[in-house]
Amino acid sequence: MKFSIYRFNPEHDRKPYMQPFEIDLLRTDTMLLDVILRLKAQDPTLSLRRSCREGVCGSDAMNINGRNRLACITRVRDLQEPVVLRPLPSFPVIRDLVVDMTRFFRQYHSIRPYLINDEPPPAKERLQSPEDREKLDGLYECILCACCTSQCPSSWWNPDRFVGPAGLLQAERFIADSRDRATDERLDDLNDAYRLYRCRTIMNCTEVCPKGLAPSRAIEKIRLAMVKNSV
Amino acid sequence: MVKRPVSGMRAWLVQRASAVYMLLFIAYLLAHFIVDPPQGYAHWRAWVLSPTISLAASVFFGATLLHAWVGLRDVTLDYVKAAPLRIGVLATLMFALSTAGLWVLRILWVGQS
Repeated sequence: MKFSIYRFNPEHDRKPYMQPFEIDLLRTDTMLLDVILRLKAQDPTLSLRRSCREGVCGSDAMNINGRNRLACITRVRDLQEPVVLRPLPSFPVIRDLVVDMTRFFRQYHSIRPYLINDEPPPAKERLQSPEDREKLDGLYECILCACCTSQCPSSWWNPDRFVGPAGLLQAERFIADSRDRATDERLDDLNDAYRLYRCRTIMNCTEVCPKGLAPSRAIEKIRLAMVKNSV
Repeated sequence: MVKRPVSGMRAWLVQRASAVYMLLFIAYLLAHFIVDPPQGYAHWRAWVLSPTISLAASVFFGATLLHAWVGLRDVTLDYVKAAPLRIGVLATLMFALSTAGLWVLRILWVGQS
C-alpha cells in the first residue's frame, strides 16, 4: 500500500515535503495506526502522537486523505491510495505529524470548563435528576482531539478570537449542566462578534467528529439560550 | 472580560429577522405578479406608490440593507485584518448602504428617481 506522509523537521528542513512510503499490509494491519507504526520501523525519524490505540484519547488526530480522523480507528483498507497523511490543518507544526495544541487548549480553558457553584456544598454530592443528566449526553464525551476545530474555516481565519467548535461544545456542556450557577456569565462571555459568532454553521465540525458529536447543534443551543436569556 | 463594541447576538438576530421579512415580502410579490400582473407602467407606478406597498417596500429595503450590512461586516471581520483597511472597508460599506437606503426612500416617498 502506498502512502505519502508530510515531513518537516525544523532542525534540518527549510520547508515541509511529502515523503512516499510503500509497505505490504499484514493480516494484522486493521487500523491505520498499526501501519504507521510499522512505517516508523522503516523510518524511525517519522514522528507522531499516539496513546490509547482505541479512539478515546485523541492523540493521533491527523488529516487523512483530506479529512481529520483518528488514525487508530480508521480502517486502513478503506482508504484510497496513495494515503496522504498530513498534520491537523492550520495548527503550528512541531515536527512531522505532531502539532502544537497550545492555542486549542487556551480556547478550551477560556470558556471555564469546570462547574461554577458557590452555594454551600451538600453533605454528599450536588444532586441531578436523570432528565437533567441526559442534557449532558453528546457534550461530555468530547476527547479534545481537535479534529473539529482544525477543520473549521472560521477557526482558520480567526484562531485567536473564535473559540472553535470543541471549546463551544464544552461551553454548552456547562451551560446545560443543571448544577452550574454561572450561566449568565458564560453566555455573556460568548456574546461578542468573535467568541461564538464567527460560526457560520459550515458544519465541518459535526461531519468529522470521530466520536459522533455535534458541535454545530451545541452552538445552536447556545445561541438560543442567549436569545432566551436576553428577551 | 472583553470590550464589546461589536455585538454578536444582536447582529445574528437582525440577520435572521430581516431574512424572514424579506422572504415573506418576496413571496407576496411573486404571488401578486402571478395573480394580478401590472398592466403597463402607470398601473405599476400607482401600485408601488400606494401607501401599503410603499411602506412594506420601505421596510423590505431597510431589512435588505441591514441584512447586507451584517453579512458584509462578517466577511470583513473574517478576511480584512489590518485595522486601517478594515475601518476603511466598513466605513465605505456604511456609506454605500446608507446612500442606497436614502435613494430608495427618495424614490418611494419624494417621487423622484
